[in-house]
Amino acid sequence: MSNLSNIDDRHSRFELRTLLETSRLLIESQDPDFVLNNLLLITMGKLLVSKGMILIYKPGEDTYLVSRSKGRGWHKEESEINANVSIGQQETGVLIGEKHSELFEELGIEKESVLFNLKTSNYHIGFLCLGPKGNKQAVTERELEFIESLTIISSVAIANSRMFAEMRLINRRLDRKVHDLNTLLQLSKDFNLMVDRDEIARVFKFAMLGQMLIRTFFFALDVNGKKSIVSISGVKEVPSEEELDYLFELEDITHTSKESTCEFLSENNIQLVIGLRFQNEKIGVVGVGARANKQEYTESDVNFLQSLGNLALLTIQKTLLLEERLEKQRLDEELNLATTIQRGLLPDPLPSIEGFDLAAINVSSRQVGGDYFDFIQTPDGGHLLAIADVTGKGVPASLLMANLQSMLHALAPIDVSLGEASGSINNIIHDNTPADKFITFFWGKISEDGSRFKYVNAGHNPPMLFRDGAEKPILLEQGGVILGAMPTLMPYEANEIEFKKGDLIVFFTDGVTEAMNPQQTEEYEEERLIECVLKNRDKSSQEIMDAVIVDINKFADNIQYDDITMIVLRVN
Amino acid sequence: MKNFSISIRQVDAVRVLDISGELDAHTASQLENSLKSLIDQDQILIIVNCRGLDYIASAGLGVFMAYIEDVRGMGGDIKLTNMNERVYNVFDLLGFPTLYDIHDDESEALTGFKK
Repeated sequence: MSNLSNIDDRHSRFELRTLLETSRLLIESQDPDFVLNNLLLITMGKLLVSKGMILIYKPGEDTYLVSRSKGRGWHKEESEINANVSIGQQETGVLIGEKHSELFEELGIEKESVLFNLKTSNYHIGFLCLGPKGNKQAVTERELEFIESLTIISSVAIANSRMFAEMRLINRRLDRKVHDLNTLLQLSKDFNLMVDRDEIARVFKFAMLGQMLIRTFFFALDVNGKKSIVSISGVKEVPSEEELDYLFELEDITHTSKESTCEFLSENNIQLVIGLRFQNEKIGVVGVGARANKQEYTESDVNFLQSLGNLALLTIQKTLLLEERLEKQRLDEELNLATTIQRGLLPDPLPSIEGFDLAAINVSSRQVGGDYFDFIQTPDGGHLLAIADVTGKGVPASLLMANLQSMLHALAPIDVSLGEASGSINNIIHDNTPADKFITFFWGKISEDGSRFKYVNAGHNPPMLFRDGAEKPILLEQGGVILGAMPTLMPYEANEIEFKKGDLIVFFTDGVTEAMNPQQTEEYEEERLIECVLKNRDKSSQEIMDAVIVDINKFADNIQYDDITMIVLRVN
Repeated sequence: MKNFSISIRQVDAVRVLDISGELDAHTASQLENSLKSLIDQDQILIIVNCRGLDYIASAGLGVFMAYIEDVRGMGGDIKLTNMNERVYNVFDLLGFPTLYDIHDDESEALTGFKK
């Protein structure tokens, strides 16, 4: 008897030690494979069985994966078994063949085998299957207890290592996210310092290559309707114009298929194309090729691509706007200079002509304009007086105005008749300007003694001659057609008037008579001009002119649409 | 200019690039130029020794991506060595260790080229 109990004691001690050592080994291990392998070997050795399996439950698919299989005749490792395991069975510690014959059949194991549940208090991990004992004897209660203890310890170890692995994965994902954010943050700082578009595009490219682990990449931009590749890597051939158009027409996020009809996409194995928008308009497209780690592009990759792409796009947009602003600044400076030059082309101060009281004004609606007036002394002591209006406004009109000014100054010293000179000027302008550019032009010459005024009107608003006592002005209309419309076929006809004391002539451009009221329904017109002049008839030229300007401004509520030029000449 | 520098050494048939400082968006093009000129001269056994490298940004990693296939296609390789832990972490996070030959020490990489 004492001998038997001695053996029992030794057994117990051996089992306790095994349990203790195994538990230490398993708990310290963070490798589930190691844990499972050890569990299988220890238990097979303990029961002296020649077949053993570890089945791991796959909750999503409701199947069992054969994670370990030793011995012959059972399922191979890595195979999967469909087995109906009830919830009750998933919660039972030990299952024996007699009671669960159906399940044993499904698993393909003999009914003398035993299933030990691998489970924690929360969930079912799988089963440890041990085949029939080599000596055909039944498994004793004590053996069952021992192995159950081992499976419990192993289950805890597996659950722990699984949790650990999951944590490690989460940590790594977090690290990656932090890195992604850092990249975005760093690049937004870097881009801020860059003004060179090529550099921005290049940095964007390298950041993409590094971040996505890719080699193939393209970045295309649409700048004012012109699409082009701004940076590219690893492609065989750059996309054609049609292909670029196609890329811009794709959905904003396009996972391309292998059968893409676009050769550029399929040839270079571009897997993802992302459209980038600025103020809702698609002006950029980014494409990325296959990743070197063979991974698919996830939603978070797409997000990152979009963010970084938008960052690059905005930076490039910023440089374009900056350039536009600089260009505008340069143009403004040029225009200011042009204004100064044009001012210099007009007589300032006005000359004084003996026997006359003179006033003149020129107000451009823009920085430069197409109105012109001038006084030029001729070699014989007379004075040329001119007023003109070039069609259109701004720079084009001002160029033609300058051209006319130089012609008049070249002609003034030469003794030619007004009519002939008008014909020559018309031919020159007609030859040298587009068909839709004309000049209405009036010029006249005050004789050397100031008694006569000879003039030619080439389609200009007729100047008004107010004579003492008359209620209506005489219109100075004679001359010919507008300058620049056609070659001089009919000579320009000059007309001459004798000045009388008190004569008042008002010369003006259509900016005066066509000034609009704020409602844009009515023009100032000749009637109002005549009325205003008559009302101020006895005042000085300057006062009459000021009165007209005040009247126009009142009528138009100070809004000027066209250049305004006016000369008032009074015979003393 | 940012604190970044490259110098090139020759060890037998291998060109060793010693890079130090910060490899980021601004300095990536310097590395690109060095790699490009080595490739142009058919020097395709390349070791990039990162002993002095304090920081690497994604743009820096992108330069390696852009040239590795060309170099390998010509029968050479770019091996990386002597990274500090922080720099290695970035390489690791983006998945570089599976694609690149990364060694703790330059001598291992040199031995690798001799095989």
